[in-house]
Amino acid sequence: MSALRDILWWLCFLAVAVGIQAAVPGLDVMAVGLIILLQERDYKNMLWLLPAFILLQEGMGTRVFGGVIVWYAAVIMLFRMGRWLFEAENFLFIFLLSACMGGAYYAVAWLMAPLQDLPFNTHDILDKSLIQAIFIPFAWKLLVATRRGKGHVSES
Amino acid sequence: MLILFLAMYSWNQRTRALDDLAAEIGLELAGAVLKPLRSLQDSGQDMWDRYFDLVAVREENEDLKQRVNELEAKLLANGEDMAELKRLRALIQLPVDQSWRPLGARVLAGRMGPNAVLDSITISRGYSTGGRPGTPIVTHQGLVGRVLKASAHSAIALLLTDPGSRIAVFAQETRAPGILTGHGTGQPMEVNFVQRAARVHEGEILITSGLDGKYPKGIPVAKVLSVAPSDYTQFMAIKAEPLVDLHHLEEVLLLEPTGIAPPPDLGAPPKEIHGPPAPARPGS
Repeated sequence: MSALRDILWWLCFLAVAVGIQAAVPGLDVMAVGLIILLQERDYKNMLWLLPAFILLQEGMGTRVFGGVIVWYAAVIMLFRMGRWLFEAENFLFIFLLSACMGGAYYAVAWLMAPLQDLPFNTHDILDKSLIQAIFIPFAWKLLVATRRGKGHVSES
Repeated sequence: MLILFLAMYSWNQRTRALDDLAAEIGLELAGAVLKPLRSLQDSGQDMWDRYFDLVAVREENEDLKQRVNELEAKLLANGEDMAELKRLRALIQLPVDQSWRPLGARVLAGRMGPNAVLDSITISRGYSTGGRPGTPIVTHQGLVGRVLKASAHSAIALLLTDPGSRIAVFAQETRAPGILTGHGTGQPMEVNFVQRAARVHEGEILITSGLDGKYPKGIPVAKVLSVAPSDYTQFMAIKAEPLVDLHHLEEVLLLEPTGIAPPPDLGAPPKEIHGPPAPARPGS
């Protein structure tokens, strides 16, 4: 995939992600983009995309700045931990990663609520964590299929 | 890294610099993406309505004609009530508040992203187009909430059902004051600090009292669902529901403070029942 095509792909991804997030409250579509960036070890694009993800999510959100940084740090940490055990492109790996990310989503909400004096609705957050965990593998599969030209780095 | 994050977090809590940056860039970009998407959605909806929904139009037309007849009859019957209302308004000198200018705005989305934890909507006006933080938001049915944060052309509004929302209200008939508190989406709201002697009844409309200085006086807010003496406090336990269907909002009105005082012939109401002073314009 050429650099220009790649940037266009990511811009389309951002637009679609905002559109989907407007339709599904609480869902983070950009986390799937972050997983793809980590899989492809595309640090050049990550340099502008990760701040863009953070600014967009923080801008669209109602919490004080910081929650998204913790959430994406958890995603990166979970990905790196999982890569020790599995091949990064394995569907089972993505499945387990998404389950863990569902847990991380809940944990971040639980952590940030008392910090910012916000009410913590267990059922609501649990529902959103589950939706997030279920969404990731399907979105990942779909997005990877649209990036066939891009060589994914496989690693055990 | 943790120390760095905590330092950044504390600094931002104090200065709000990163929140402002995120709203300025992130919210503005999200709004810029959502506006054309909403236009596309509208076009699709229009096509559907015009070309594929014709089957139901004739039947609906008949229903509407019947409804118009009924409403015309009601209007005639209510003419006397309207005249009475005008007289009563003049009598009790309710302020016809010119200190607020209504501005239409489009609802772009509900909550967006993992960071959107409050009951909120995203609207198509920002601080440069009338949607400054604190601006009250209404529809023809009643109060919706107020602007929480804004970028130049988009803003996020806090709905009155959010647990962090507090609104000073009166019961419309009994004039009993109270504070309306949200309890989350789909949950009934609570009216606190209503005296036990107050004769608030089920079905009574709650209106903004303006005493908080955040909302104009007299906007319908909610309908009382239940009234009972509280088991725990010396006040009444009153539950209420919003008048506006917050799940199906498409357009809203922002009430921008103009800074104009009410006309003197209506009598100057106490200062605190009017809205906040008009914010300083950039460059002024």
